[in-house]
Amino acid sequence: MADRAAARSIQEKVSITLFGVIGALALFIFIVLSEVVAPAFDELELKEAETNLKRAEKAIANDLENLSAITGDWGLWDDAYDYVTGEYPAFEDSNLARPTLANLDLVLLAYYDANGGLIWGQVDAGESSADLDVIGVLDPGTETAEFLLTHTELDGHIDGLLDTGIGPMLISSWPVIRSDSTGPIAGTVIMGQILGDNRLQRLRERTEVMLSWRATDADPTTLSLLENPLNGVGKGTMHHESSAGEIVSSGLLVDLFNQPLLLLDVSTPRRISALGQSTVNGAMLLLTIAGVIVAIVAWMLLRTIIVLPLEALAKHITGIRKSGDLSKQLNDDRNDEIGALANEFDKLTGELEETRKLLLDQSFKAGKADNAAEVLHNIRNAMTPLINSIDRLGRDARVTDDLKVRQAVEELAGNECPPDRAGKLLQYIESAFAFVEGENGKLGENVRVASKQARQVEAILTDQEKYANVAPVLEDLQLGEVLDEAVLVIPESTAAGVELEFVNGVDQCIVRGHRVGLMQVLGNLILNAYESIQRSQAQSGCIELSAVTESVGDQSMVRLTIRDTGCGFDDNFKQKIFQRGFSSKQGQSSGLGLHWCANALAGMGGRIQAESGGPGQGAEFHVLLPAAQGG
Amino acid sequence: MNTQRHSDVPIRILIADDDERILECYQEAFDNADECGEVRTLHALDAELFESDTEVPEKPVFEVVSCRQGDDAISLAREAASDGHPFDVVILDVRMPPGIDGVEAGSRIREFDEEVEIVFVTGYSDVPRDEMERRVPPPMRLHYFNKPLSFIKLAKHVAGIVKAH
Repeated sequence: MADRAAARSIQEKVSITLFGVIGALALFIFIVLSEVVAPAFDELELKEAETNLKRAEKAIANDLENLSAITGDWGLWDDAYDYVTGEYPAFEDSNLARPTLANLDLVLLAYYDANGGLIWGQVDAGESSADLDVIGVLDPGTETAEFLLTHTELDGHIDGLLDTGIGPMLISSWPVIRSDSTGPIAGTVIMGQILGDNRLQRLRERTEVMLSWRATDADPTTLSLLENPLNGVGKGTMHHESSAGEIVSSGLLVDLFNQPLLLLDVSTPRRISALGQSTVNGAMLLLTIAGVIVAIVAWMLLRTIIVLPLEALAKHITGIRKSGDLSKQLNDDRNDEIGALANEFDKLTGELEETRKLLLDQSFKAGKADNAAEVLHNIRNAMTPLINSIDRLGRDARVTDDLKVRQAVEELAGNECPPDRAGKLLQYIESAFAFVEGENGKLGENVRVASKQARQVEAILTDQEKYANVAPVLEDLQLGEVLDEAVLVIPESTAAGVELEFVNGVDQCIVRGHRVGLMQVLGNLILNAYESIQRSQAQSGCIELSAVTESVGDQSMVRLTIRDTGCGFDDNFKQKIFQRGFSSKQGQSSGLGLHWCANALAGMGGRIQAESGGPGQGAEFHVLLPAAQGG
Repeated sequence: MNTQRHSDVPIRILIADDDERILECYQEAFDNADECGEVRTLHALDAELFESDTEVPEKPVFEVVSCRQGDDAISLAREAASDGHPFDVVILDVRMPPGIDGVEAGSRIREFDEEVEIVFVTGYSDVPRDEMERRVPPPMRLHYFNKPLSFIKLAKHVAGIVKAH
């Protein structure tokens, strides 16, 4: 797994990470929406169902209040008072005709005297009127009748729901008193409105709530959940039953005696939760789309800002590794970390390039030093017997020179030599001849040894020629860079007061040559120019370097011109300037000779020319080198 | 070493050089007794007959042992020292491929022979002079010659330094 992860590209890793983060964020938002937002919609929906139930209860209560108000009006009325007390019998004809119940939407209207005796009462049972007996609850002597017909206070009245023989009913009971609210209480007026289908329809239209009611014994389970029925029709505990499409909220309606009478049901469509669900779904959809867009945009940004530059950097590094060309630069001008990395890499490769050049120089010099050491060792070893043989020849020659053979012969020829001396002279001559004979033999041997060792030195030198004939490695060189390196060898004391100026084309020209050799040639020419200015005794001077590409035959060549304001030279000097051993510095030569420079340039396929207007007129050195192909 | 050395006592020299021609030169320079006798007879007659003031140089006697590798030189020097006849002078070439170089050989010889005169003779040395003096002390018993050189002069120099010590 680790290997597979390591093998993934940055782009893959970034993509996986990015989409992972976006996915985790989407999951988090989904959980929040599902567990927090959606339940909030459900809660809101439950509140609405509760409000609808309360609104239904309130509407029934309002109907009861209206009924109470009408009943109060019919009780607090002088005509009714007189009617109940028997002083105005015509009240019955003028006010209690049957349409009165219909006009007032009543099903029950009854007047009782102060003793609870029925004076007039009627029940509107649909098509026809009926006696109060159909109601049942107002039969004389019943607890309900007793309760409704007992008033002790002038403004005391009884309102509420009541289950009757014709169905559940809104009922109101008021005392009959004078219109100016004075008593004594003459009797009781009772009015009732049936809770039937018409009223249910009107309540639905008025409240815009889908309400209904049912008998408490129809649903004992729901009734058991509603533990705290309150007075009147009002507040009790609620119970909500939810299904896919609606919430059915149930409340309890109690009668005059606070006993359960009806279960009030209100059906609330689940619009809010549906809206919430669609909102959650919409939000999820939008978030998913937004997440995908963000991921794509972020991926593209990351690709543009990070991945592509890194790929370019990797490609650049691979290119350098394959080509080995450390001079290639990224030149990334981005002002960010990757740009800084690219710039640092450019600096690194630049430094490596410099180091490589330095190593090449050192390798070149070390190679030359090793070679020189080897040659020195071999030649000195070969020359040792040679010198030894010559030493012996010299020594023996000195001995031979000192022999006095001629003097001994002359003395013997003079006839005056005593015999003893003559004998010793003869011995001396014999010894001298013996010595010379011996030395003659050694002479041949010493000459043979000397000759052999001389040939050995010659063989060593011949062996070196094969290295001298090895062609230097030619490469494409930026002329400006080689000149920059060549100038580094100029001592500061020599360069003082002299302006060195690079003009046209130096930085643009690429030549084909041996880098170290060309650097040494150009360094030597520039050093010569400085020293020529110094020799001219001028207070200041100028060296101008320029380069152009020109065609020589069918070959493209770069002409580098080194122009100085130094002492110049005449035609005679010009004829000798590139000859071996020639120098204008009168034993003060500090650099390589121009002869060597000319040979080195010839080895690169180039050449050198010198021009001067004459002594004191400065000089121009033209270096011609093959231009790099495509350079 | 004795400060007064008799001329008949041979100077024991160990020479190590990888070049056989050089070893031959050493042999010729240090081993020329016959040649010296002929010259001596001539010089004696010359002085007697012509009253010349030519002095016959007193030729020291050398006992030369040679080898071609540094390791061999160490073994020979160690053997001579343990036999009670140490070499007076050890002449070492610096470069003696394929074995150890002369400076290393000199350094090891110095470990068991503090008095031997060590002479480095080389065509080219990778080892600077001060490093030689550090590795093969003391400087007063260390000598250095560059090839090419005259072995006749070297023989005189060797005789001189042995006589001095």
